[in-house]
Amino acid sequence: MTATRDIVTDQRDQFAFHDDIVYLRETKRGLTRDTVEEISRFKEEPDWMLQFRLRAYDHFLQRPMPTWTDGLDRIDFDKIVYYRKPSEREEKSWDDVPDQIKATFERLGIPEAERKFLAGVGAQYDSEVVYHSVREELTNIGVVFMGMDQALKDHPEIVKRWFGTIVPPEDNKFAALNSAVWSGGSFVYVPKGVEVPLPLQAYFRINGENTGQFERTLIVVEEGAKVHYIEGCTAPIYATDSLHAAVVEVVALPGSKVRYTTIQNWSNDVYNLVTKRAHAYANSTVEWIDANTGSRKTVKFPAIYLRGEGATADIISVAVAGKGQHQDTGAKAIHLAPNTRSRIVSKSVSKDGGRATYRGQLKVAPGATNVVASVRCDALMLDDQSRSDTYPYIDIQEDDTTMSHEATVGKVSADQVFYLMARGLTENEATNLIVQGFLEVFTKELPMEYAIEFNRLVKLEMEGSLG
Amino acid sequence: MTTAVPTAPGRPARRPLDELSLPIDDAALEAASAGDPAWLADDRNAAFEAWRALPGESNVLYTPYIDLRAAQLEGARLALGGGTERGVGTDPAGALPPDADGLIEITEGRLTSLVLSDRATSAGVTLASLADMLVRDPDRVRALMDVGPDLPDGDKFAQLTRALWSGGIVLDVPAGVRLERPIVIRWAVGEPDLARMTRTLVHLGDRAQAVIVEELVASAGATRPGGQAFFSGTMGVRLGTDATLEVAGLQELPAASIAIQHRVAEVAEGASLSWALAQLGGRLVRGRVDNRLVGDRSSVEQVEIVFGSQEQAFDLTSYTTHTGRDTTGDLLSKGVLLDRARTALKGLITIEKSAVGTDSFLGEFGMNLSKAARSVAIPSLEIDQPDCRRAMHASSVGPIDESQLFYLESRGIPPDEARKFIVLGFLEPVVARVPLASAQDRLREALETKWAAGADALAAAREPAA
Repeated sequence: MTATRDIVTDQRDQFAFHDDIVYLRETKRGLTRDTVEEISRFKEEPDWMLQFRLRAYDHFLQRPMPTWTDGLDRIDFDKIVYYRKPSEREEKSWDDVPDQIKATFERLGIPEAERKFLAGVGAQYDSEVVYHSVREELTNIGVVFMGMDQALKDHPEIVKRWFGTIVPPEDNKFAALNSAVWSGGSFVYVPKGVEVPLPLQAYFRINGENTGQFERTLIVVEEGAKVHYIEGCTAPIYATDSLHAAVVEVVALPGSKVRYTTIQNWSNDVYNLVTKRAHAYANSTVEWIDANTGSRKTVKFPAIYLRGEGATADIISVAVAGKGQHQDTGAKAIHLAPNTRSRIVSKSVSKDGGRATYRGQLKVAPGATNVVASVRCDALMLDDQSRSDTYPYIDIQEDDTTMSHEATVGKVSADQVFYLMARGLTENEATNLIVQGFLEVFTKELPMEYAIEFNRLVKLEMEGSLG
Repeated sequence: MTTAVPTAPGRPARRPLDELSLPIDDAALEAASAGDPAWLADDRNAAFEAWRALPGESNVLYTPYIDLRAAQLEGARLALGGGTERGVGTDPAGALPPDADGLIEITEGRLTSLVLSDRATSAGVTLASLADMLVRDPDRVRALMDVGPDLPDGDKFAQLTRALWSGGIVLDVPAGVRLERPIVIRWAVGEPDLARMTRTLVHLGDRAQAVIVEELVASAGATRPGGQAFFSGTMGVRLGTDATLEVAGLQELPAASIAIQHRVAEVAEGASLSWALAQLGGRLVRGRVDNRLVGDRSSVEQVEIVFGSQEQAFDLTSYTTHTGRDTTGDLLSKGVLLDRARTALKGLITIEKSAVGTDSFLGEFGMNLSKAARSVAIPSLEIDQPDCRRAMHASSVGPIDESQLFYLESRGIPPDEARKFIVLGFLEPVVARVPLASAQDRLREALETKWAAGADALAAAREPAA
């Protein structure tokens, strides 16, 4: 790819900005039962959603903080603003979006992205979807792509049927927190047999110091339908810690195909604690393509529950951990039905004292006969200040499972660097190219422009890492 | 983590997963340390405090995978030393097995055999019961404990054993002495309702060499009716510079045994250690091996097999820490499970920042031969130094390979026989490493017997009665 030969200057500040927005409405700092009720009241939600939030809030209070990963005790829940609304209503067209917010998006490149070929754009500015456009053709074929709050009003029956069924609030502490105070996120509904021709895309951003962002995404894909959803994140840099606790639920009904691609590039002060889970019904295919380059700490293990016979799961997880970062990422494949297949590929890079952890689970439940599963995790460490951990959990409860797992950890080969330098590359360029090659299993799954953007991100991460 | 799990009203609270249900109180500690020198009593005390404070599984990586509920030891009483193990001046009879350099056998706390070849004796090798050594040369015991590796301080059951052990064995091979033939250490245990804890101290001086075959077998008393037996054995190994040690451990405890095993080794510069461990017996076995590769160019090779059937549960962890430069770790665990047997094979390789040039491999492989069997593998890596020759792990679980079966059948081997060959072949890596011909034969026989018992059930499951 020619883009890899470009000398990219540090464009970090392009993604690091902070506009002074006049927030029209926000809750007080800290989380109480009143906060939860206030959010629900303000959003004019049906009572079942309020009850759902309160149930989640109660569980959040009871649930102890996880101790299997470190540093989460640094989060001060009392300092966080749990709900903040930047504009009064969901805008129908780009022209109606407030100028200041629009300027922010200009820098993120949304209009260009839209001009190209992306089917729909749901951009999240703080806690609400402010801009939303769905191409007419999508509406014509019955595809729903809108903000989660709007979906609760427009499609209550679908939302009520699936919301919180894939990731119940009791799943973990941060799923409970999200369920109590969620706001924004995307809702996608693809009717039976419909193939969405182009990827659906949403950009998310956090703005405002100490703003928590608790988006909630629900994707329901009916029988035989097909969709590709892409999310990418950028966020401004602040001195104190921000929290992003999202929940993503995907329902892949029989024979459907869902691909969910994430490029996560939160600024290095964000705690990114995300629960992502899909239920794959008979003969469906679910793919998580997940890359994490930003944040101070990411804890995310995209999961697929293979519930129906013949379902397939494919998870590619990529993490780059730089200075001060800990990427605690991985994947889970839970086989609950016969003749199901899963493949997990994880690649991590750690450098400048960063820490990359692969944590994964592969489970074959009793009754899930004839399962074929594979897990591969590779880690690259660029210096001896960094750290790499691999914690795979493999639990097989059937007698005819075929499972293989392999993991390696290593450094950039001096031979390869030498070879590339002999061809005229600088050491930095050579290393960069090797790292990009290492991550190619991920990049090659991306639409072309995303692949370029991702390679740039990696290059930005690599800038100066070799002194 | 020792909080009781709430249950429906009217039912007794379920026992936490990480408790052994051994009735232990301060009196136990007092009884265990009766007659001890002060330093030893202090050591037991400190361990007892640690045992009190620790959860059953202190490594948060593994807390979801501990289940000790098969242990029903409420009625067990603690075996105490009380001098029963002492053989001073009596020189118990015992024939030296062919091809061995020594034999020490302790049967239910009594020293029943102790023989050492003339060659070993004249070279200054010490083989003795710990009780004898404490009488004869307490300072030497203290020195061996000091120089030997500490039992893992975060492990509740290691600390319990350090506090309440009632017997043990000392093997001390002086610098430069190379014993080529094995020393056999045999524990005959399994008396119902008895909890026995032991410490074994192995010390090899610089350039020394030794081979150990450690056998855990049923005593005559094990067949008496009664409750479960509890046996906790620890082996602390200290290898001096360029020393070489091979250990084969054959665990064939009676079916109603609950066993805890701790093996801890500290390997100095240029020294090499090899473990070949076979787990066959017991109801519930929790085993742990700690390999500390502190010296440059030190190495460890560890092969462990599990052959589980019926309700057996095996919970086996290996911790290998690379500290020195250019160290090598080669670890392999294999499990074959019949009936409702379960294994958890856990391994953690730690490559410290100082460990430049490490070569480390961890493999965990399982074969589930029954639908009710469960095999869990957690092969983990924690790496602070990327400059290594190799750092990898691999794991697989699969049924008997159909193509291997087909091949053997095409050679005229009947299917049942072919299955046996494949399964026993899968476990062969440990059998082949047992250094004593007689022990190797016995292990093969035990595996075949176990296979024969399970194969009938397998055949019945494959071809349901018409």
